[in-house]
Amino acid sequence: MKRNCLTKTIGAIFLGLTMAVSANAKLNVVATLPDFGSVAREVGGDYVDVTTLAKPTEDPHFVDARPSFVVKLREADLLIDGGAELEIGWLPPLLQNARNSKIEIGQPGRVQASEGIRLMEVPAQLTRAAGDVHAMGNPHFMVDPIIAKAVAAHIARAFSAVDPAHAAAYQANEKQFENTINAKLQEWGAKLLPFRGQSLVAYHDSWVYFAHRFGFNINIFLEPKPGIPPSPSHLAEVIAQMKAQKIKAILVEPYQNRKIAEKVAEETGGKVVDFAQFPGALPDTPTYVKLIDTLVSRLVAALK
Amino acid sequence: MWEVMFWPTMACVLLPWLLVYLGLHVVRRGIIFIDIAMAQMASLGICVAVLLHLNLEGWPAFLIALGFTLIGAAIFSITGKRSSQIPQEAIIGIGYVVAAAAAVLLLSRAAEGDEEIKNMLVGNILLVSPLDVWKCFGLFVVVGLTHFFLRKSLLLVSFDRDAAYQQGLAVRWWDFLFYSLFGLVVTSFVSIAGVLLVFSYLIVPAVCAISLADSLGKRFLLGWLIALIGGVTGLLLSFSWDLPSGAAIVCTFGVLLVVITSASVLFRRRREPVAGKEI
Repeated sequence: MKRNCLTKTIGAIFLGLTMAVSANAKLNVVATLPDFGSVAREVGGDYVDVTTLAKPTEDPHFVDARPSFVVKLREADLLIDGGAELEIGWLPPLLQNARNSKIEIGQPGRVQASEGIRLMEVPAQLTRAAGDVHAMGNPHFMVDPIIAKAVAAHIARAFSAVDPAHAAAYQANEKQFENTINAKLQEWGAKLLPFRGQSLVAYHDSWVYFAHRFGFNINIFLEPKPGIPPSPSHLAEVIAQMKAQKIKAILVEPYQNRKIAEKVAEETGGKVVDFAQFPGALPDTPTYVKLIDTLVSRLVAALK
Repeated sequence: MWEVMFWPTMACVLLPWLLVYLGLHVVRRGIIFIDIAMAQMASLGICVAVLLHLNLEGWPAFLIALGFTLIGAAIFSITGKRSSQIPQEAIIGIGYVVAAAAAVLLLSRAAEGDEEIKNMLVGNILLVSPLDVWKCFGLFVVVGLTHFFLRKSLLLVSFDRDAAYQQGLAVRWWDFLFYSLFGLVVTSFVSIAGVLLVFSYLIVPAVCAISLADSLGKRFLLGWLIALIGGVTGLLLSFSWDLPSGAAIVCTFGVLLVVITSASVLFRRRREPVAGKEI
């Protein structure tokens, strides 16, 4: 058994080495979350190797670190993170242990996706008393396709700076992504138009950008405060508001407590809609565009 | 691999000796869950610091956490009566759930995202920094030396309470000292390695060693050896199969415990007719 284990380990090391050699020509890109990973793949095409740390179904606030994360970060040429404190609970210690100067903040190898983006819900007071999880504003910005385009452009610039040989390809891929989003925005907008102005309920405050883009109001949450589990009196208030405003849908993500949403839906006659911020978290959503496609069609089905 | 696993390995080599030693005390006293209760008291202190809007890495927050740990130590030493219908473990369990629930209540008023707090209280052995390891090691040396110099009374209070009372020791005060030191050790180790690991390091090597040896010295050395083997093996497995490191170490300990206790049972059965006098 011991020998078997040993050969496995040697095999793993060997595999790792050969992979490193064959990938040498490609840019080693690490993305903290699957949405950044998906866009990085679109932009990088065949010239980059993208590793995503968090799983699509994992809560982006809490991600369990594994040894490979540190290894990947050590070997990375480029790191894409949100830069808006969404990963604050787990990324800083990983980076500290990876000690890779190429991906430090301010280096060409570090893309902070929120850079240059006006975040919503920035707390007025920047003290702990402000009562907001994320002092820089709401970090769930990638579900707005127009922001995703800006992030893609940012990533393309960073890829081109680190790997100028393939700059033309990165720019072309980025242009193509932009064109796809532009075409799709027409389609998504048309599908959601009949429901414009409606209010929705969400478990966590992660849909403000989506709401803003497609004309919904998502201001009622099952959580009384971000990260705090629902309390009975708060749920009673949510139920009353849902009834009063005739709200039909509750958006729930894979790592949130669906049972609570089901209970509220039962009381109010609304529907629980399984939503997700990350490509791959719902069936048949391998890419960013497919994910938004699925979100739009699920919402249409629920509100019809 | 070493670049990534060096400091976790250092932590697993430098730190467990004190946990193994304290584990022998804790198992003997029959207060297995004291570590989790004390860690929870400390995190309740951190929650209070959050409510007061203190910087969680500063001294005031640390002092509040320390204060709550001492309150826990006081509660557990006052309630640890000489003879009582209520087992000490019941009080510890109550202390744990009430502290945990109080933390939930406090945080619901604090409106903070709790990821930072959780991250601060419950560390991950994979991500220890050199400074963490040395700070923790320094504290362990101080506590270890205290235990060494005061070993006569501290051992008597844990291992032969009746004799301690007969000799007129202020058992409650010694208990308070024991719990306070214990709280410090547990809280600092939890903050770099997590709750699962602290529990395993305290209990598993002690239980294995008790089943293998009779004297305290032998048990301590054996337990230390088991802790070293379990910790380093767990880390290696976690690296080669890419598993969360803390959980990998805990499961390695579980397997070690089964192997060692079943081996010792077999070994004893074979020896029994000859030796026959083992308890």
